[in-house]
Amino acid sequence: MKTFPYIFFLFVVGQSYSQISDFEHIDFKTADSIALSYNKEELTNLPELSYKLTAHLNTDVERLRAIYRWVCANIANDYSLYLKNKRKRQRFKDDSLKFVAWNNDFRKTIFKKLLKNQRTICTGYAYLVKELAELANIECEIVQGYGRVSTTDIENLNLPNHSWNAVKLDGKWYLCDPTWASGIPDKATNRFTFQYNDGFFLTEPELFAVNHFPVDERWWLLEDNIPTFDTFLSAPVIYGQAYENLALHNAPMQMHHDIKKHGKVAFQYELKGSAKTEHIQLVLDNGFDTWKIDPTSISINDTSLSFEHQFNNIGFYDVHFYLEDDLIATYTVKVSN
Amino acid sequence: MRTQVFTQKQTLKTFGFLVTMLALFAFNPSYGQTRANTETTSTERTVKGVISNEKGPLKDVNVTQQGTRHGTTTNENGEFTFPVKLKTGDVLLISYLGYETQKFEIKEDTTFIKLVLTEDMIEMIGALDSNKPYKSKRKN
Repeated sequence: MKTFPYIFFLFVVGQSYSQISDFEHIDFKTADSIALSYNKEELTNLPELSYKLTAHLNTDVERLRAIYRWVCANIANDYSLYLKNKRKRQRFKDDSLKFVAWNNDFRKTIFKKLLKNQRTICTGYAYLVKELAELANIECEIVQGYGRVSTTDIENLNLPNHSWNAVKLDGKWYLCDPTWASGIPDKATNRFTFQYNDGFFLTEPELFAVNHFPVDERWWLLEDNIPTFDTFLSAPVIYGQAYENLALHNAPMQMHHDIKKHGKVAFQYELKGSAKTEHIQLVLDNGFDTWKIDPTSISINDTSLSFEHQFNNIGFYDVHFYLEDDLIATYTVKVSN
Repeated sequence: MRTQVFTQKQTLKTFGFLVTMLALFAFNPSYGQTRANTETTSTERTVKGVISNEKGPLKDVNVTQQGTRHGTTTNENGEFTFPVKLKTGDVLLISYLGYETQKFEIKEDTTFIKLVLTEDMIEMIGALDSNKPYKSKRKN
């Protein structure tokens, strides 16, 4: 009888590994190389492009993959367009007529830019993936919602700011985020740089939910524990590299922790691969200094990683979790007497 | 006598060859397609059309036959002449970036298509990912 909860646990965990791992037997090399072979192709003929990308592939997941990789490698993110849109949306947010008028106008600009310069913002990426997928007879939707990254000003996150895709493969819905997969702004110049991140393709919905909040709740693809907007805003900050390294971010569920001196914070993750103790690193920042430390205790069991850290000095810390050189997540800890 | 044996062998060979060819034809998918085509040859026709948006004719609209690479684009007056003959039941996809893709099924009497495309009424938003480490706002 004692084994029952354990078996049940295995079952539940097994269920949650339901996304990219559904296609473990498929090698995406062919799809990826087809996508890359059509680099620099234009957007003037989407039916033709969709055909070229998918005609020689045998499964829907490979067809989607070729489309997704092509979009990620060929469409640049337009930072100035993004900023302009953000500004206008904020300005008109309480004037619905002006808001709609602005969006109608802006949409035309976006599609012109996309066609001419192959530059866009999130919705443009999601739109292209959807159009090309549908032309290849794959059901695909644009998901509108809130995306939260390290630079998001969550105090003013009152309008949807991000778009991604839900796609139906073999009768089941999956999630992907072509915008965040395509690249990131260069830290120094803020200019968009192509840098493909494979972690956003058919991501586990539980991990996705840490920093994606869909407006339409059916796109959580979660069976239970659907976050409220408040829990979403109080979740830890996770980075693109979290998507490359983690299958699940289990604990802590909160960004901020109030603890007493000598108190502990516990961390728990499911990794995609294996890790070594010496790869686990915390970087603490108290506003004046930044220093590396090893967690107080670490336990690695196959792909399951847990560690704890004891805070022995009062203060307010930004706690960054690094796996080797990859920045995974940030938490804040206030230690008081 | 020798010639007769030879002819028998020859007949057997010819027979074998015929069986192989028959098998090849039977399993060749294009054979089925040929048959389907002959049924409707009589109704194959050239299809023309004009595509516009709410303001007027739309240039460079893609007109493609679903499931094939047959296609063309509209000229400055929004007009097109489909490059291959079409038959009843064929489906044309009319697409243009930023507009809803429309499917048009060729009917018994279709020779001219007039379509108005409607914009994809989608709200445009976008946030970038960042690998900048989070930094708490501090009072002092």
